Amino acid sequence: MVAGMFAIFIVLLFAVVYWRTERYLATRADGVITMQAQTLESVPPQQWSSVLSQFLQQNPLAVEYAGLFTSDGKRISGNLEQVPADLQIDGPAQRSQFTVGPGSAQEVVQGIARRLPNGNVAVIGRKTIDIAEIVAETLALGIIPALCLSIAAGAILSIRAQRRVGEVNERVQRIIAGDLRQRLPTRGGDDPFDKLASIVNMMLTNIESLIEEIAGVGDDIAHDLRTPLTRVRARLERGREHAATLEELGSAVDHAIAGLDQSLAIVTALLRIAEIEHARRLEGFGQIPLIPLLHEIGDLYEPIAEDKGVALRVDAPGEAIVHGDRDLLFEAVANLVDNAVKFTPEGGRIELVLLHRKGEAVIRVNDTGPGISESEIKAVTKRFYRSDKSRGSKGLGLGLSLVAAIVKLHNFHLTITPGTVSGCSAEIICPQIH
Amino acid sequence: MAPRNESMPRLLLIEDDRETADEIRAELIEHGFDVDWAANGIEGLDMARSGRADAMIVDRLLPGIDGLTIIEALRFEGKGTPVLVLSALGAVDDRVRGLRAGGDDYLTKPFAMVELVARIQALLRRPAEGPDAVLQVGPLKLDLIARTAKRGERSIDLLPREFRLLEYMMRRKDQMLTRAMLLEEVWNYKFVPETNLVDVHMGRLRRKVDQPPEPPMIHNVRGMGFVIRAPG
Repeated sequence: MVAGMFAIFIVLLFAVVYWRTERYLATRADGVITMQAQTLESVPPQQWSSVLSQFLQQNPLAVEYAGLFTSDGKRISGNLEQVPADLQIDGPAQRSQFTVGPGSAQEVVQGIARRLPNGNVAVIGRKTIDIAEIVAETLALGIIPALCLSIAAGAILSIRAQRRVGEVNERVQRIIAGDLRQRLPTRGGDDPFDKLASIVNMMLTNIESLIEEIAGVGDDIAHDLRTPLTRVRARLERGREHAATLEELGSAVDHAIAGLDQSLAIVTALLRIAEIEHARRLEGFGQIPLIPLLHEIGDLYEPIAEDKGVALRVDAPGEAIVHGDRDLLFEAVANLVDNAVKFTPEGGRIELVLLHRKGEAVIRVNDTGPGISESEIKAVTKRFYRSDKSRGSKGLGLGLSLVAAIVKLHNFHLTITPGTVSGCSAEIICPQIH
Repeated sequence: MAPRNESMPRLLLIEDDRETADEIRAELIEHGFDVDWAANGIEGLDMARSGRADAMIVDRLLPGIDGLTIIEALRFEGKGTPVLVLSALGAVDDRVRGLRAGGDDYLTKPFAMVELVARIQALLRRPAEGPDAVLQVGPLKLDLIARTAKRGERSIDLLPREFRLLEYMMRRKDQMLTRAMLLEEVWNYKFVPETNLVDVHMGRLRRKVDQPPEPPMIHNVRGMGFVIRAPG
């Protein structure tokens, strides 16, 4: 189809070229014969015939036809038999039909006719069509190959494109079938296909690494679930074998239930993270004033901190309203405080602060606990990560990944940095609305 | 089957998994309830319409008809029987949907039997909501307007959250309140954190309310929850 359009375009182009050429030649011819007519008029009458002959002889190409006629049309000299009927005498140079040659053929000529002072009529004509016809012939000669070439080129390109699409299609089918290692073929060229293929390949690499991460997490989950479940099983078996009293058996069962609860909590937490990450909670969004929220959290954790001998301080001045889900935000901040309380030893200090920075509201939780190393910071928000120090302690290690998921859902920003002196400082940065 | 006793509260359980249903029925019967059971939604809806259950336990994922649809139908027909929704779907949205369909409470599977029993009891004994200005349990008096508390002649100094907690418990005196229920209702915290938040707060409250040699009113039932009772 493109080839067809191209062919039409070529034909049009050639037509325009012909037409323009013809017009140009005609105009030039007009100029020449007008000038020559003026020359003739300025010459005394007895020289007219010879001047006309000169015109004819001088430059065979400049003028083809010239004729001198009496006032009633009888030929005096020149190579024309008669005054062309459609040629306006004393008019401007124009196209007209000359009858020429032995066979009285008609020719289209740019002609000019002048009535001379004694009544005679001089006619001068210059052919342009010849030249135009030469151009036309040449173009015609050229048009067929041009058309063929364009059709051929179109066909070749089309076949090539289809073949590439076929290749891509075949690879894509394989990828869909599950082979994520496949990539689209590129030829190192600069054509749009290659560019597209490179982009898609980048996408596939991304997807592959995401899936690997999920698969890895799946492994982690399986591992983290096997441990408590194995313990449960072992406890129950031991209880059945060794329990001497109903009480001992009861105790074994209690431990088993605790282990099962822990496994279930892992599953629940993962489902929640998945739910949050899939942003199914956006309907619950509203305007949340942060100050009361932070005070509530401080309220909630203050007794626990006190019991542990850790000072918890809430510093939330001013006002800040953000767009979000109250329950999720509560949970995110509570999680950060929960972590701080868990890891800060007796005599330490925890601060829950609201800052205003560059028009944004910043919720900061900092503690004087053991802190967190640079390399851990990135890993810590991945699912299931627990720093080696905390592996021993109870808990799932999912807290921070839950916080990360919530922060991401809100389009806020989470940063975790080492504290100024010691410990850890976690910040949730939110754009404010008023 | 135990002879029907008019004073035993009657429950309707709509649950399609036989083993789960058996466990639930056994536990509830042990706690003094009378339990009718329907294994699918259609039968359950029929029994709900014709029977006289004091409360219902409806599983969400039922063959034939969604548990929420049953509740919606009943509400549409004007039946106000309290319903506890059971579901394996634990997302907060599911919970919200369950409550919006007309459910009164929502428990995610798997759950501790103790939670189920405590919540059913809570559903049956609607709390003393009322425009009372004063709540009283035994010697404990809570002035809701002045926001003060007294035990006998001794006035108790309570922080706002402690006051809220005590009010919630006193409105549901003699009822077992699980940690989950307390977190949900008093702190509006739907997700159980890892630290023993409720225990610590309850510990503080108890130290203020029950000062020896006064007999204790707030009791920690091991493995289950808390309850406030008049002494004696």
